[in-house]
Amino acid sequence: MRRATVAIATVGLAYMILAPLTSIDAAQQAGLPLLTDKVWFRIATTVAMFVVLASAWNIVGGLTGYASFGNIAFFGLGAYTVGVLVGIRNWPFGLALLIAPLVAALFALMVGVPLLRLRGHYFAVATLGVGVATGEVVNNLGPLGASTGLYLPIVRSDLLFFYLMLVAAALAVLTTWVILRTRFGYGLLAIRENEEAAAVIGVNTNFYKVAAFCIAAALSGIAGGIFAQWNSFINQELVFAVSDNVQMILMAVIGGAGTVLGPVAGAVVLELIIQTLAGGGSGSVYSQIGLGVLLAVCVIFIPRGVIDFFGGRSRLSLRYLRETLRETSA
Amino acid sequence: MSLLALRDLGKRFGGVNALTDVSFAVDQGDVLGIIGPNGAGKTTLLNCISGLYTPDTGDIRWEAASIRGLAPYRIARLGIGRTFQIVRPFPSMTVRENTAMGALFGRPGARLQPGAALKEADTVLDVVGLGEKRNYPVLRLTVPDRKRLEVARGLAMRPRLLLLDEVMAGLNQVEVELALEMVRRVRDSGVTIVLIEHVMKVIVGVCSRALVLNFGRTLVEGPPADVLKDPRVIEAYLGQRYARDQEPPPYPPPQAGEGNEK
Repeated sequence: MRRATVAIATVGLAYMILAPLTSIDAAQQAGLPLLTDKVWFRIATTVAMFVVLASAWNIVGGLTGYASFGNIAFFGLGAYTVGVLVGIRNWPFGLALLIAPLVAALFALMVGVPLLRLRGHYFAVATLGVGVATGEVVNNLGPLGASTGLYLPIVRSDLLFFYLMLVAAALAVLTTWVILRTRFGYGLLAIRENEEAAAVIGVNTNFYKVAAFCIAAALSGIAGGIFAQWNSFINQELVFAVSDNVQMILMAVIGGAGTVLGPVAGAVVLELIIQTLAGGGSGSVYSQIGLGVLLAVCVIFIPRGVIDFFGGRSRLSLRYLRETLRETSA
Repeated sequence: MSLLALRDLGKRFGGVNALTDVSFAVDQGDVLGIIGPNGAGKTTLLNCISGLYTPDTGDIRWEAASIRGLAPYRIARLGIGRTFQIVRPFPSMTVRENTAMGALFGRPGARLQPGAALKEADTVLDVVGLGEKRNYPVLRLTVPDRKRLEVARGLAMRPRLLLLDEVMAGLNQVEVELALEMVRRVRDSGVTIVLIEHVMKVIVGVCSRALVLNFGRTLVEGPPADVLKDPRVIEAYLGQRYARDQEPPPYPPPQAGEGNEK
């Protein structure tokens, strides 16, 4: 079953990477959807972007057990770093993109030290506050374009941004994979499972939590930086949207928080559902309702996520249902 | 020089003096038993030593240096392991992984990698008698086994001092015997032990000294048999009238403390 998952992932990935290179004719003859289509590129790049965000959130929320509602601030700061450096200072995009994760990580270090002393709901609410406040501050700073936002020189290349986002997504997944195989990763898991027990066996809990927060911030900052140039326009509503933060959490949780591939599965499935539901004009309302229902169903019936549901022993038994229900209500 | 020495330790929570002027020393190879009625400050004392609380007054010395106010992880890496009265396993991990966590992070000096830590866990699990259950998920363990796992995780740190917080509470007679054997094995392997216990059989059976706390103060300290006969101790556990009626004083019945434990 695990092997099947890996196989599907490999084929899917190969398809994602190679498909855009095929010409329209070749694709049509093979009966494939028109992958060179502009809409498809937009969706695929967005999916990859949310893979980064959900995976980054997963490092803090899934591995360390600190549900952050402020990760969108790292995305926003990454975007604004590129926005200012490229749009105002005329830096080359590539160089600016290297600075974006640094700014985001530095910010995470600053707010992480006090915030990560809080736990549970308190942490969630405090990070929400920091996320919203950061957006508001940016929105009121003249040098950052205030409420008009920032314009960047347009770069017309769907292919470039698709691949950039895909590389960022691969980086995020690889980072999670590596973390889970090191001492550092075990320390994060210990903190999630029981922080005091972790401390008395020698885990430097404060350092580990802040480090995880900074890594997540750097990854989100990269995604933000790519988004800024891709969209060639950013403002507060676009890059500091709390709804995007909620969305990355949904993706990680529905896919399987604390796993490597869970956030990937969540991002792909959820973004496609959102796009489908939002397809027909006034559809965004249905999209929201649909997401709400989906989250409720997932949290109750597959609290360990889609990845867990499809992996290993039979999940369609009554026993699995009973176990997961007990876990949810505990 | 003592391995661990507490001097005039005090800890307040609001208006409550949880600990007042507690002083004692533990030498290498000692097994010190700490007893006292509920709320006497026993767990607070362990929390101060392991760094979860910072004492308000007094000092804690590990060999020559003061460890007062150090972060818990630093104290752990000095070679002080502990268990929790209410067990705190890492629920999503197996017995073996739980134990390995102690070896992975708690070792003074050397930094083990996950693979080596798992090997170390196997050795320790045999000592505490969980060898056959190493691949169980923690949630499948019974209460006595979970208490053993707490000890295993502490031992995997290769501590020089192990603080045991009521590892026998809630166990039946047979289980207490087994746990007692385990504590003796740990002692014989050269680990100094400070243990909190309500089961008097344990205090007499394994401790080299006993200390009685009452309302956060040291009531009596000395050889276990003498301490348990002391009228002040009986009074603390069972009240003044009971102590007066009992001449000469017998052992306090073991149920005295146990009955009140959750």
